[in-house]
Amino acid sequence: MMSPLESTVLFSIGPVPITQAVLTTWGIMVVLVAGAFAMTRNLTVRPSKRQAALELIVATIDTQITETTGAAPAPYRGFIGTLFMFILVANWISLIPGMEPPTAQLETDAALALLVFASVIWFGVRGAGAGGYLRSFTRPNPIMIPLNILQSLTRVFSMFVRLFGNVMSGVFVIAIVASLAGLLVPIPLMALDLLTGLVQAYIFAVLAMVFIAATITDGAPTTQKDS
Amino acid sequence: MTIDFWTLGLQAINVGVLIWLLSRVFWTPIAAAIGARQTATQTALDDAADVQAKADAALADVTQARAGIAAERTAALAEAAREAEAQSKQAAAAAQTQADTLLAAAKATAMAKAEDDRAAANAASATLAVAMARKLLAGLDTQVVQAAFLDRLVAGIAEMTPSDRAALVATPGGIDLVSPDALDAAAQAKVTAAVHKALGGKPDLQFVTDPALIAGGELRTAHFTLHNSWRADLDDIAGALTDAA
Repeated sequence: MMSPLESTVLFSIGPVPITQAVLTTWGIMVVLVAGAFAMTRNLTVRPSKRQAALELIVATIDTQITETTGAAPAPYRGFIGTLFMFILVANWISLIPGMEPPTAQLETDAALALLVFASVIWFGVRGAGAGGYLRSFTRPNPIMIPLNILQSLTRVFSMFVRLFGNVMSGVFVIAIVASLAGLLVPIPLMALDLLTGLVQAYIFAVLAMVFIAATITDGAPTTQKDS
Repeated sequence: MTIDFWTLGLQAINVGVLIWLLSRVFWTPIAAAIGARQTATQTALDDAADVQAKADAALADVTQARAGIAAERTAALAEAAREAEAQSKQAAAAAQTQADTLLAAAKATAMAKAEDDRAAANAASATLAVAMARKLLAGLDTQVVQAAFLDRLVAGIAEMTPSDRAALVATPGGIDLVSPDALDAAAQAKVTAAVHKALGGKPDLQFVTDPALIAGGELRTAHFTLHNSWRADLDDIAGALTDAA
């Protein structure tokens, strides 16, 4: 068995190696974008069942964002929603025989964590200004600046390690059980892996929202923050 | 354990592109559809509120109009009742007036009829009395009666004023001397002499017969009559009886 920490390079484009995870990610992107484009072509005021289901997804994401940040969901909907949907589909793609979740590879999870780190900066600067974003590191007092800087790095590190560990371990356990006990025995573990994939996608998205909201809140002036 | 930073960067770009694409083809259109429905719903609610307000206003107008109609109906009924009462009173007054008029006319008619009946009864009584007197007087001696009436005629001429006697004498066409029976020549001469003497002149005398006188003799001209007969006396009596009645 190959180590789960190793990536399989299928081919290279110049100096860029194209791994199985990248190829699977492209496939997921094509399916998601094409499916989204196909399903949102004929949106009407009187929704069909399909449109109602899509609107239910959007309304649920909006509700989660509003309850977590207390702000209007529109600026964060695209980032948080796409993050959740991509991670969920990537985690569940292991149900297709022969497919391996991209999130079971360290580079994909690290890329997601890097995007969260960048989005915290982006939304923090856009919401509270550059000064406000820098001011967020002085909470609760300037002595905490080194620790806050360290925390901003370690929390995203913990995010991708958590996601990677859960998904990779699930895939690894199923692979071991399947190699030892045949076809039907891993099914309960695969069902558990579905739940794990959903929970991990939800946790990753919620943590991203919490980090963004905390940065905006901490970056606000003291009087505004108190109010 | 190694991390392939090419793969890391490529995956970051992939997910970034996916975020960008899904924001445009999924999240934004669906959010816009939700917003459009919310706007349409709010518009429909606003329109419904407007319609409700208009309906409430129309209902208030109808209620007010109904109240006005009821008040107008009550006023019309009261006016009609007043008019009916006035017309009833007017009709009753007219009927009373007409009844009074009819009653007065009936009373007048009855009184007139009673008066006529009484006058007729009086006239009949007088006629009967005259007829009875005439029958009683018819049995008397004509010569004696005529002599007495001639004396009364002479006395009547004597009672006239001289100017009246002179005017009577000067009457053109003469004087009619009316008697109930034709007089013979001797009687005419006697009467002519007595009359001429009483008048103090000799006017022309024409002897005329009128049985209605019963007895007596009268002088008549176109403008004068000296009554001197039982007929005149009975007429005076009948007139007195009628006046007394």
